[in-house]
Amino acid sequence: MILLFLTSGLFLGWSLGANDASNVFGSAVGSKMVSFRKAAIIASLAVILGAVLQGAGASDTLGKLGSINAIGGAFTLALAAAVTVYVMTKFSLPVSTTQAIVGAIIGWNLFTGNNTDTDTLTKIVATWITGPVIGAIFSILLFIIVIKIKKSSRIHLFRFETYIKTGLIIVGAFGAYSLGANNIANVMGVFLPSFNLDPLDLGLFSISSSQQLFLLGGLAIAVGIITYSKKVMDTIGGNIVELSPEGAMVVVLAQSVVLFIFSSSGLSNLFQKIGLPPIPMVPVSSSQVIVGCVIGIGLYKGARNINFKLLGEIAIGWLSTPVLSGLLAFFSLFFVKNIFGIDVGHNISSVGSLPEIVTVTTNTSMSLIFKYLLLGIVASGIVAAFLYYLFERKKNREFRLSEEKFWKNMK
Amino acid sequence: MAVFKRTTKNLIIRIDEFIDNIDLGLLVFREAMKAYLEKDFDSFERHLKKVDTLENSADRLQREIENDMITHSVLPQHREEVVKLIDVLDEIIDSVKSSLNEIDIERPEIPVSLNKNLLSLAETSANTAEELVPAARAYFRAPYTVREKLLRVYYFESETDKMALSIKKSIFREMNDLDLARKNQLRYMISHIENISDLAQKAADMLSGMAIKIII
Repeated sequence: MILLFLTSGLFLGWSLGANDASNVFGSAVGSKMVSFRKAAIIASLAVILGAVLQGAGASDTLGKLGSINAIGGAFTLALAAAVTVYVMTKFSLPVSTTQAIVGAIIGWNLFTGNNTDTDTLTKIVATWITGPVIGAIFSILLFIIVIKIKKSSRIHLFRFETYIKTGLIIVGAFGAYSLGANNIANVMGVFLPSFNLDPLDLGLFSISSSQQLFLLGGLAIAVGIITYSKKVMDTIGGNIVELSPEGAMVVVLAQSVVLFIFSSSGLSNLFQKIGLPPIPMVPVSSSQVIVGCVIGIGLYKGARNINFKLLGEIAIGWLSTPVLSGLLAFFSLFFVKNIFGIDVGHNISSVGSLPEIVTVTTNTSMSLIFKYLLLGIVASGIVAAFLYYLFERKKNREFRLSEEKFWKNMK
Repeated sequence: MAVFKRTTKNLIIRIDEFIDNIDLGLLVFREAMKAYLEKDFDSFERHLKKVDTLENSADRLQREIENDMITHSVLPQHREEVVKLIDVLDEIIDSVKSSLNEIDIERPEIPVSLNKNLLSLAETSANTAEELVPAARAYFRAPYTVREKLLRVYYFESETDKMALSIKKSIFREMNDLDLARKNQLRYMISHIENISDLAQKAADMLSGMAIKIII
C-alpha cells in the first residue's frame, strides 16, 4: 500500500525523464551528433548519480515551502503535478516539472489551511526569472569563447566536430547529473517528510533513507529517459533558434552550470566564506533555463532568427503550469480526502508548534522490501548494460569484417 | 569516444589526398594540352595515363570518404553538402580525363594560328579549377576565407567563357578554308576544355553557400 503511494512520484519522475532529458541531450540527438542509445544510457546513469549524491540541497527548500505531513497528501500532490506535466507534454506545450510541483504544494497549503512560506516562495519564483537570465549570460560568454577558439585555431572541420561530439557527451553527462541533483526534489521531495527507512548498508558505504528515495526517483527518471524521451529529443533541435553543434554544446553547458549552481551546497558555502551572499538551494526548471540559454545565443547572433511566437507560448506555459497544477492538486485532495477517506495532511499550526508528520517509519520489513527492490533494479541494470556492451561489440566486429571484405573485393 | 578514434584522422588524410589528386590532375591536364599542341604525342599519352591513374584514385577516395562519413556519422548536419562537393570536385577530374580521351581518340588537327589561343584557353580553364582547390581546402580549415578565394574562380571562369567565344567566332567566321566537319570538331574540343571551368564554377557556387552555412 505504501509503495502504491509512491507510484505517483515515480510517474512524475518518469514524466520528468521523458520531458527534461531532451533539454540535456535533445540538441545532440536531434542533430544526430550523438545516437539516442548512447545519450539515454549516459543520461540515465548521470541522473541517478546526481540524485543520490547531491539531491538533498534543493529538497530542503521545497520542504520549507510545504511540509507534506501525510503520505496520502504527498501521493495526491505528485499525481496532480505528474498529470499536469503529462497532459501539457502530450499537447506539445512547454512545461516545467518544478513549477508543477510548486503549484501543487501551494494547492496543498491552501487545502489544508497551512500558510505558504512567502520567503521560500519568493526565493523559488525569483529563480524562475534569474535562472534563464543567468543561463543566457553564461551561454553568450561561452559561445564567444568557443567561436574565438574555433576561429583562431584554424582547426579542421572534422576534428572540431569530433571535439564537439565528445564535448556534447561530457557536457550532457554533467547536465544530466545536475538535472538529477536539482530536480529530484520535484519528484521525491514531497515524500521525504513521510518516509523514514533504515539506512541501506552496502559495506563500503551506506545509503540514507532520503538517498534511497532519491535512488528510486532517479531510476524512475531513467526509465522515462529510456522509454519516452526519444520523441521529444528528435523534435527539440532548432525550435526556438536553429543551433549549430557548438551552439548546442554551449547551451547544454550553460544550463548544466546553472542547475549545478542552484544545487551545490559546497559552492554556496564557498560564496559565504568569501563574503558573498549564499546561493539559494532551489529546484530550478531545466526547461526554463535552457530557453534562456538558447535565447542568449539567438540574441548574440542578432535576434533575427528567434521564433518569438514560440517564446510567447512558452511564457503562457510558465504562467499556466503552476496555476493548473495547484487547482488540480486542490480538487484532487478534496476528492481523495472526502471520497476515499484518506488522510491528506492537516494544518500544522492547529496541531501544535511542531509539525506532526505521519511517517512510514522504521518498519523493518518495509526497509527490507526497499533494500531488495533497489538492489534488484540496480543489479538487473548492470547485467543489462553488460549484455548491451557484448552485443554492441559483436555488431561492430561484424560490421568491420564486412567492410574489410567489401574493400578487398573492390581491389 | 569519438575523440579517441582514428576515423577523423583517416578522413582528413583522405580528403587532403583527394583534393591533391584534383590539383595534380589539373597540372597534368595543362602539360598534356601543351604536349598535344606541340604535337608531342608520346608525352601526351604519358600525361593521359597519369590523369587516368589520378582519376581512378580520386574515385576510390571519394567512395571511401562517403562511406566513412555515413557509417561513422561524421558532420551529420553538413554531410550531404560535403559529399556533394566531393562529387562535383570528382566531376572536374572526370571531365579532365574525358576531354583528354576525346582528344586522344579524335586527334583533331589544330590550325597553327589557333595553337596559342587554345593553349591559353586550356590554361585559363585549368586556372579556374586550380583556384577552386585552395577554397575547397579552406572550407575545412578556415571557412571565413572561402568567399575571398572564390573571387578568382569567378574571374577565370568569365575569362574562359570570353576566350572560348572568341575562338569559336574566329573558327566559324574567319577560317573559311576549314570544312564544317573540322569546325565542328574544334568546337567540341573547345567545349570540352570550357566544361572544366564551368564545373569549377558550379563547385564554387556550392562552396560559397556551404561556407556561409558553416559561419552562421
